[in-house]
Amino acid sequence: MKKKVLSVLLCVAMAATLAVGCGGKDSGSSDSDSKSSDTSKDSGKKTYAIVTKSAGNPFNEKEAEGFQKVIEAEGGECIVKHPEAATADAQVSVIQSLISQGVDSIAIAANDENALQASLEEAMDAGIKVSCLDSKTNTDSRQTFVNQAGTKEIGQVLMDAVLDITGGEGQWAILSATSQATNQNAWIDAMKEVMKDDKYSKLELVEVAYGDDEPQKSTDQTQALLSKYPDLKVICAPTTVGINAAAKVLQDEKSSVKLTGLGLPSEMAEYIGDDDAHSCPYMFLWNPSDLGSLSAYTSIALVDGTITGKAGDKFTAGDMGDYEIVDADDGGTEIILGDPFKFDPSNIDEWKDVY
Amino acid sequence: MKEKKSIWKTITGSREASLLIVLIILCVVISFRSPSFLTLKSISDMLKNNAVIMIMTLGMLGVLLIGGIDISVASTLAFSGMTVGMLLKYQKVENTFLLFLIAIGIGAACGLIIGLVIAKGKVLPIIATMGFMYIYRGMAYMIGNSQWASAENLGNFKNFALGKVLGINNVVLIMIICYIIFFVVMKWTKTGRKIYAVGSNREAASISGINTSNVELMVYTVMGTLAGLCGALAVAVYSSAQPNMLYGKEMDVIAACVIGGVSMTGGRGSVVGAFLGSLILAIIAKALPLVGIDAIAQNTVKGVIILVVVILNVITQRVMDKNNLKGREM
Amino acid sequence: MAGKSGRTIVNVPDKSWKKTLLCWESMLVVVFILINIFCASISSSYQFSSVLREMPKYLTEMFLLFPMAYILILGEIDISVGAIVCLSATMTCMASNKEWPFIVVVLVSLLVGTICGFVNGLILTKFTELPPMIVTLGTQIVFRGIAEISLGSGGSVSLSNTEGFRMIAGKVGTIPYILFVVAIFAVIFTVVLSKTTFGRSVYAIGSNSRAAYYSGIHVQRIRLIIYTAMGFMAGLAALFLTSVLYGANTTTGNGFEMDAIAMAVFGGISTAGGKGKLQGGIISGLIIICLRIGLGQINMNPQLILIILGALLILAVLLPNIGGEVKLKKKTAAAK
Repeated sequence: MKKKVLSVLLCVAMAATLAVGCGGKDSGSSDSDSKSSDTSKDSGKKTYAIVTKSAGNPFNEKEAEGFQKVIEAEGGECIVKHPEAATADAQVSVIQSLISQGVDSIAIAANDENALQASLEEAMDAGIKVSCLDSKTNTDSRQTFVNQAGTKEIGQVLMDAVLDITGGEGQWAILSATSQATNQNAWIDAMKEVMKDDKYSKLELVEVAYGDDEPQKSTDQTQALLSKYPDLKVICAPTTVGINAAAKVLQDEKSSVKLTGLGLPSEMAEYIGDDDAHSCPYMFLWNPSDLGSLSAYTSIALVDGTITGKAGDKFTAGDMGDYEIVDADDGGTEIILGDPFKFDPSNIDEWKDVY
Repeated sequence: MKEKKSIWKTITGSREASLLIVLIILCVVISFRSPSFLTLKSISDMLKNNAVIMIMTLGMLGVLLIGGIDISVASTLAFSGMTVGMLLKYQKVENTFLLFLIAIGIGAACGLIIGLVIAKGKVLPIIATMGFMYIYRGMAYMIGNSQWASAENLGNFKNFALGKVLGINNVVLIMIICYIIFFVVMKWTKTGRKIYAVGSNREAASISGINTSNVELMVYTVMGTLAGLCGALAVAVYSSAQPNMLYGKEMDVIAACVIGGVSMTGGRGSVVGAFLGSLILAIIAKALPLVGIDAIAQNTVKGVIILVVVILNVITQRVMDKNNLKGREM
Repeated sequence: MAGKSGRTIVNVPDKSWKKTLLCWESMLVVVFILINIFCASISSSYQFSSVLREMPKYLTEMFLLFPMAYILILGEIDISVGAIVCLSATMTCMASNKEWPFIVVVLVSLLVGTICGFVNGLILTKFTELPPMIVTLGTQIVFRGIAEISLGSGGSVSLSNTEGFRMIAGKVGTIPYILFVVAIFAVIFTVVLSKTTFGRSVYAIGSNSRAAYYSGIHVQRIRLIIYTAMGFMAGLAALFLTSVLYGANTTTGNGFEMDAIAMAVFGGISTAGGKGKLQGGIISGLIIICLRIGLGQINMNPQLILIILGALLILAVLLPNIGGEVKLKKKTAAAK
């Protein structure tokens, strides 16, 4: 009896290994075709891949569109990959798959600074050029980083907005994404740094709340801020989900508290206005489609060999003009897209249909 | 003397009463630390923000009562919510009432399919709903096609969540109506009895002439219907439809039920319990930022509270059983 | 040897039942071969070497499958494993960054996992009335919460000393070490489940816990051991996951529990308990991994992949059920 079961087990195991072998062989036979197609690819088209943070998000979609448009215009082949969830785990599988496909470059908006290192190093070892956009990885796992706007600049404009809207003094609070979000934490730290200046001495940052980028939790957090600090004047939300939820709460309650931060124009159009009926006088963001385009030009330049990712390298990004790689705060290098763009009642109608 | 004893007995004897005590203690402690908690506005805000979970808890109550489980509810919600959002965005349908009907219809269809697979296909509930959790969530992404519906697209629809009838917010009102209907159905109608019968002993129920698979089908369809309704409500409350909305919240719904004393093996649980359970979860979510617990520790505290409440439930039950036995011995 | 005499008795009425089960597993092998041919035909980069290279990340979930199969056969469920992986991976990175020797880091990783599993088991065996789903839901939030607290405001930790992890991520030829480790544990868990009194007790508890108790099986002790083993394997998974990530964050291990359960269920293990074989779970795990790699390589929409996996999961259970019903009807018709 024992033998019987064992032999069955063995058979199953053997069949399994055979099957793997089968699959391997099978692809082996088609290997020659794929190689010939590979060589044809090499002679003509290069393949450039972009990995976004998550699927089903218009910001990421615009980013990928901008990337794709440039790559296709320049005669390359473009692969747009969304991970199945907004986690680094899911992005690792995506990167592994891209290595198998033998792409020439990967541009990635990282969900985590550190946890992609092993797979991105493997990609670079395989000769793939790796750059980041939107949110960076640590310096070991990238060649350069296309930054939407300098961290300091974002901190500066947001602090100035808070100063302006409060009228120079009073209590204000921050509603962020998760307490672990890399970008948001960097911007908040930059704001705190800016706040040390005497100009902002009458502003009091009462709390940094975290809405986890969930509408429900962000709503809870906003309401908690309002009831905890009756003298609150401004909420600054440097995250698109958070600012949206906060805007909704403030506007529904006809609260006198005002809002600013970083948000998508299409999402926020309803809440932007100078009068009391609107909760957000103005806010900032950058153009995700431009960010994607610049990242595409960066990928092309990396693959061409025009740049290597060292500070001081210069390249031309089509009709976007010339860009230079500079040193980043973390010891790596970055390319800065430009200053954050201000959305106010005068231009929101024009932008809300764009992204 | 006798009367006193019976009152004492009803208090310790019913799970709902002990839950109520937990709830009151919780409220007192919180309002001690944050006086603004127990104001009418704050409570109304809390109910509005948690109405979606509270309504789905009702459906889950039915599912758990017959010994099933449904972990696809958040996905069904996202699918119906995204459909509503997209219909509004591309201006196909603008009538609020019609949109609610569509959302409910989609939810009912989703629930019906799940029910058919479980009741007629004899697939275990956890497996079937796990599969549909992926499928419906995927469909929500597909229908959204990487777009969100934002406040601006939603036109009049979003005003639904602002409107009031008799001083009560529409969303909260819908929740209350749902609870009343369920309370009546579960307590005083044949359908309610059937659900309890199937849950406590399926074979016995089947022998006594109840079509158990029809009851199963009904329960999952009701669950889907409520999830569909909640999809529309969630879009109205947050003025935004995103494919990942309420991701993972099915666990909150189940937790609310279990905290409310609903047994996961079926047959035990009540509408009042489900209400108290979901209320406790809502209060925890609302109170944690208010009492000033560090943001980073909030999840841990929430998990510990859930565990403590559930374990306390068991301990009181044990003490109760012991007391009952003692009474018998005497 | 009481076990031996018991074995023959158990096996006598099993013949026809066994046949059908074998059917399911052999069918899975066929499916596995078909899937591989299918993937190779749709993607030119689907090759032996590329599949093996992509596999390690997916294989970490396999570690969770083995004990999860035991838990499902008990008729229970553990949804906290993803969080245990997260906590253990976090602690592993932190230990490694303290410049502790690699062997200590490995021990930390395994120990953290084991402790978490033990806590689950302890609560569940002390309060037997509690449904495992709700307890592990609670501990899931707590374990991930502890990881969040220890990660602090960055929410992410990097591995400064990757030396040891590079070693365990190594390969023999094209075959990564992790595949051997998975194979070893696969054999151990399969043999224990199908060949020992312990394994048979697991089935006994799964089919009727009370009967098992009265026939002298230490139900609670076995549950405690299995949940602790679950934690241990989660720790092991965390160790290998760290070797493919070089870091950890608060979302590490998200959804691992559902993947492990799906693999087991697709392999014919019933969540109602008492039924199923680990062999089926292992083959179905490989099927799911290959399918994911293949569909990933043709850059299919990730949500579509999830829809396909969800549909497969339901069909895998639904089709045999319908087939069985049709057979039953034919039989009754013939009898008439």
